[in-house]
Amino acid sequence: MRTIVIGAGLAGLVAANRLAAGGAQVTLLSKGIGGLQLGQGTIDVLGYTPERVTNPIRSVQALTGTHPYARIGAERVLAGLAYLKELLPDLLVGDPEANYQLPTAVGAIRPTCLAQPSMVAGNLSSGERVVIVGLRQLKDFHPQLVAANLVRTDLPGGGRAKVRHVLVDFPVREEVDSSALTYARALDDAATRERFARAVIAHLETDEIVGLPAVLGVRDPQAWRHVAEKLGHPVFEIPLPPPSVPGIRLNEALTAKAKAAGVRFVQGTRTVSFRASGGKVDAVTIAVEPAGREFTADAFVLAAGGFESGALDMDSHGTVRETLFGLPLEGADAVPLLHGDYWGGEQPLFNVGVAVGKDLKPLDASGAPVYANLWAAGGIIAGSAGWAEKSGDGIAVASAIGAADSILKELA
Amino acid sequence: MRGYSTVLLERADLGQGTTGRFHGLLHSGGRYVVSDPLSATECAQENAILSRIQAGAIETTGGYFVCCPGDDPAFADKFLAGAAATGVPAREISVGEALRNEPRVNPGITRAIEVQDGTVDGWQLVWGAANSARHYGAEILTYHQVTKIDTANGAVTAVHCTDLKSGEDVVIDTGFVLNCGGPWAGQIAAMAGAHPVDVIPGRGIMVAMNHRLVNRVVNRCIHPADGDILVPVHTVSIIGTTDVKVDDPDHLTIEPNEVQQMLDAGEVLVPGFRQSRALHAWAGARPLIKDNRVAAADTRHMSRGMAVIDHTERDGLDGMLTIGGGKLTTYRLMAEHIVDAMCDKLGETRACRTAEEDIPVTGAGKNYVVTHRLEEREHDRFEDQIICECELMSRGMFTRALAEQPSGSFDDLRRQLRLGMGPCQGGFCSMRATGIALSSGHIDIERATALLRLFLKNRWLGLWPILYGDQVRQTALDNWIFQGTLDVEHLPPADPSVRPEPEVEKKAPVAASAQAGVES
Amino acid sequence: MTEVNDRPATHDRTGLGFAGHELSRASLDACVKCTICETMCPVSAVTPLFTGPKFVGPQAERFRNGESVDHSLDYCSSCGTCTLVCPQGVQIAELNSQARAVMKADHMPLRDRLIGQTTLMGKVMTPVAPLARWALGNKAIRTVMEATVKVHRDAPMPPAQSQSFESWFAKRPKPTKVPTRGALVFFHGCAGGYFEVETSKKTVEVLEHLGYEVLVPRQGCCGLAQQSNGLFDGATASVLKLCDDLRSSGKDLTIISSSGSCTGMLKHEAHEIMGVSDERLKDVGTRIRDTMEFLLDLYDAGELPTDFLPMPMTVPYHAPCQLKSQGIGKPALEVLRLIPELTVVDSEKVCCGIAGTYGLKKEKYDIAQAVGRPLFDMVKATNPELALCDTETCRWQIEQSSGVKTVHPIWMVHAAYGLG
Repeated sequence: MRTIVIGAGLAGLVAANRLAAGGAQVTLLSKGIGGLQLGQGTIDVLGYTPERVTNPIRSVQALTGTHPYARIGAERVLAGLAYLKELLPDLLVGDPEANYQLPTAVGAIRPTCLAQPSMVAGNLSSGERVVIVGLRQLKDFHPQLVAANLVRTDLPGGGRAKVRHVLVDFPVREEVDSSALTYARALDDAATRERFARAVIAHLETDEIVGLPAVLGVRDPQAWRHVAEKLGHPVFEIPLPPPSVPGIRLNEALTAKAKAAGVRFVQGTRTVSFRASGGKVDAVTIAVEPAGREFTADAFVLAAGGFESGALDMDSHGTVRETLFGLPLEGADAVPLLHGDYWGGEQPLFNVGVAVGKDLKPLDASGAPVYANLWAAGGIIAGSAGWAEKSGDGIAVASAIGAADSILKELA
Repeated sequence: MRGYSTVLLERADLGQGTTGRFHGLLHSGGRYVVSDPLSATECAQENAILSRIQAGAIETTGGYFVCCPGDDPAFADKFLAGAAATGVPAREISVGEALRNEPRVNPGITRAIEVQDGTVDGWQLVWGAANSARHYGAEILTYHQVTKIDTANGAVTAVHCTDLKSGEDVVIDTGFVLNCGGPWAGQIAAMAGAHPVDVIPGRGIMVAMNHRLVNRVVNRCIHPADGDILVPVHTVSIIGTTDVKVDDPDHLTIEPNEVQQMLDAGEVLVPGFRQSRALHAWAGARPLIKDNRVAAADTRHMSRGMAVIDHTERDGLDGMLTIGGGKLTTYRLMAEHIVDAMCDKLGETRACRTAEEDIPVTGAGKNYVVTHRLEEREHDRFEDQIICECELMSRGMFTRALAEQPSGSFDDLRRQLRLGMGPCQGGFCSMRATGIALSSGHIDIERATALLRLFLKNRWLGLWPILYGDQVRQTALDNWIFQGTLDVEHLPPADPSVRPEPEVEKKAPVAASAQAGVES
Repeated sequence: MTEVNDRPATHDRTGLGFAGHELSRASLDACVKCTICETMCPVSAVTPLFTGPKFVGPQAERFRNGESVDHSLDYCSSCGTCTLVCPQGVQIAELNSQARAVMKADHMPLRDRLIGQTTLMGKVMTPVAPLARWALGNKAIRTVMEATVKVHRDAPMPPAQSQSFESWFAKRPKPTKVPTRGALVFFHGCAGGYFEVETSKKTVEVLEHLGYEVLVPRQGCCGLAQQSNGLFDGATASVLKLCDDLRSSGKDLTIISSSGSCTGMLKHEAHEIMGVSDERLKDVGTRIRDTMEFLLDLYDAGELPTDFLPMPMTVPYHAPCQLKSQGIGKPALEVLRLIPELTVVDSEKVCCGIAGTYGLKKEKYDIAQAVGRPLFDMVKATNPELALCDTETCRWQIEQSSGVKTVHPIWMVHAAYGLG
């Protein structure tokens, strides 16, 4: 059974892994290397409803109507989380019934379900003493901003933490402007980690938890433990805007798993057109120069993302389209699609997407699958932008599991 | 400069009325050679003066007037004749030369004329002038809103205003008020008890496209119309504009049909315009004053639209003059006129020197070129972090500007620095700026968080009316960062006892009056 | 009224006139500053001298007008990784190449003109091959070369051969096997013609074993080396002449090449970087296949004999940048995995560092070595005797810096078919 997955984000990689594990031959087509390295490197299930969520799976189970979770089902969320933890036991930890509440790089506290082990000490309790350590050459992390906001925040569990900040001079190259990835690559080296620990330890007080920007190694999953050990203090990483090192770790790990499982990766070119007959997709074409290149398969998974990747597009006339298959969209006739109140409610545009059935096949207006052998997963699905309620990862994983399992069952 | 003790009151940041919301064009005069010859001559003269005295704020891009497919090529002959008659430098060039120099321009153009249009950074312009005034002892009070003008015995005696940042009321004793309130001039005049000054704000929208589609100003060679100019300013190219009479200059909408009109207009000048990325939009109001009770003894030769209202004649009120109309290109001349008129009223003779003296007084330096920040960063990037990468603003630039304006909002700073004005529209630099401002010691965490929130809110006002294509993707990524990774929506709430930053950016209402392209 | 008949014809907008404008510049609008390109750039990973692809491409391009001011862009190796990984379709590498061409237009170093003349080098070196080899291996001579022409003394040099490929092809005994599958055109490229003749021979023998008749027209250079040094006008002339050469053997024939980077030049680079949009280029670009791509397509269609001899060994494989940027995945990996008992390990490294001619240059040599170090280490650790890679300059770089003999994957296929 030959399958094609379009998209190398969380949904695409999980679907590809799941299909390969189920014995399918998988080709993964993507323009880039996927969007995981743009995100925070954790797996959100549900963060806000809009109240802060402490038990994500329970809140998922309570969702109804056209919310993606209501269509996909909580069982698949659970299956997806279990699958991820099985695939990446060193990289993702957590419990579907208890969100972590972790500090962000502006000093807010953000719920997430599965986190990287290097982050979980940031789940603060009342009265805990914390020092946020920044690096002078790292412009994407401002320890005073983090600390000053954290210290005046009521913790989700009640009370407040005692948070101070420190800025350490730690150049890793002959430059004053080093990216998080430059730091992480440097900290993959044990000697550099020792030098780092010596630079930081001078600023620490007793019984403090140390909050650091997420730069503690990118290839070496134990780098952060080594740093903590050298510092003699518990340590937690705070994710940064792109380039997000925890996101890169997740991307590389999931991609490596897929390659090891035999998934064929053809990356670098956008999938731009398709051929269909008799209600089934026969082939898709990637836009390699000069004349394109076709790929045929028995089943196709559209996991190409939402607006951020261009899988969904709104043109200058305000027309919204799904750009590959031209699938019918739910929510595209909302008026208005955009409003000018930034801090007001969600922009309806970002809830536009493809409606899917229980089997994760995209549906037309009458509720029938558009193509008998086309499935959808991830950000392309209508009903949630994911950023505000912190659900995008969970939707991606659950829908990917749903689509892959549905394919394996149907085409077995 | 003429030795008067002077205070400038502006209720927002300098230039936030009309000046900073204009097209960015330093007219060669070409636009008016047929329709308004007097304006044309004035523009040509002032263009030369400003390019010299305020070189750093002005890029001498040059300009083209092109006859597009469907335009009457004979108009170009009228144009050339008009240019000769008004003293506006203009030279016809071959279409081939025009297209070689500007490969994005419509290949179907039939004629092309080269003129000396330039482009202007409006804020550099006004701040340059303001700083020059400071040098001569003037006080510049931004965020001071005039609330009342006291008069006694038919003469102005004092001006009352509120410092919007501190809440304090300020009274300034004065013998003369120069009302340069533009579209708000009528409201100001009314505060002194003058008869209603008939201000009709003419709203126009501008759309900045993400990169310089052209490196010269490109005008359509026709009688002035909407959307017939594309202007490269710094790193963007700006299409404009429209002209719709509105009632309230504090509520300027960016109408979806006008946005579509601008995109269509752009498509005529540059095929493929709609596939380019629209970056930001804004609306400004032209200060058109219609008044049939103008000063009788007007010895100054003023062009249509530029008018000084003498309130002595008209309202029996001494000590106030109002000016309206005009164009940014002739701002210096307008100022010369109104101050000359004031001198007359006071019975004094003090000559104007603004055309001779450089801004800054130490020397105007070279004209702006778009490559200059790229060159600067090439040389200083090993010493100084780049904070706004899109617009190549360094950390040093930010901290210096903050030190000069410690109570400035991020938009006040943005106008000096272009922070957040590039493709990512603050997506990456807002957080950095917030962190740096906080650690500078000038502001506390409450204010830092509030400024971040305000900055994001204000950027959106100019984004949502033109959001399509690539900019939708950018917004999605920016949301992914701000809400997803940073969770800015769940920062500690603002302390209600702390005075909020004055929200003068909020000009447009937040709901669309109609959604572009959606047929019901 | 001025004459209207001097507007530039669209086909004039090629070569240097194209550089910095139109297609690639328009693609900068797609950049959302996501930094993915920066994270994958092999040069900015090893030196802060290069500001990175996002900076030099879509970001700096908004500030460019006329004279170049950001000379550090010359550290870009044009490996093309950035364009490949960009999720939005920004033509980053192309923007950089064009900006570099503009920058160098007025003061093109002599070295870069010489390095671009790969055919000339081959023609000149072949008749005096043993001497040429000696000279290029001689430290004293190389030191002088470094001082005068700024080619680093340790940079890998193409190995001159005594007989060119075309000469071998013309003079060999005619193959006895009757072709059953039709004709193919073989494009050997400068390296395959003068330096890596063995690779060309093996490719022809494998194709003939499969039943094809192989045609080898007289052929010149694709112009890639000129293009990557900013000599756009020369490169355009070269590539179009080559198209004429390859088309002379017959219409609609598939063209096969074992020169991965030259294939990339014909498929997309000449068009995307220099704006060449000639019909002849489009024709050749549509019909050309990388050798391993061709074999994989045959396999997918069920037409590749898989009666390979077992090869019990583990061998590292490196996919060159200019193969990855053709958007065909890594066909060599898949074909080699059909050979019984052969374990092929993908290097998973971004770039070997040579980037065509980049790593030869004195001021870039150390950077190129740093870029390739993870690859050299991986190759040595996987198999100190043999490594595989589809493009010639990459093979020379890997061999020089790791000490491991590096050959084109077709050598394995050739041996596995028992043709050796």
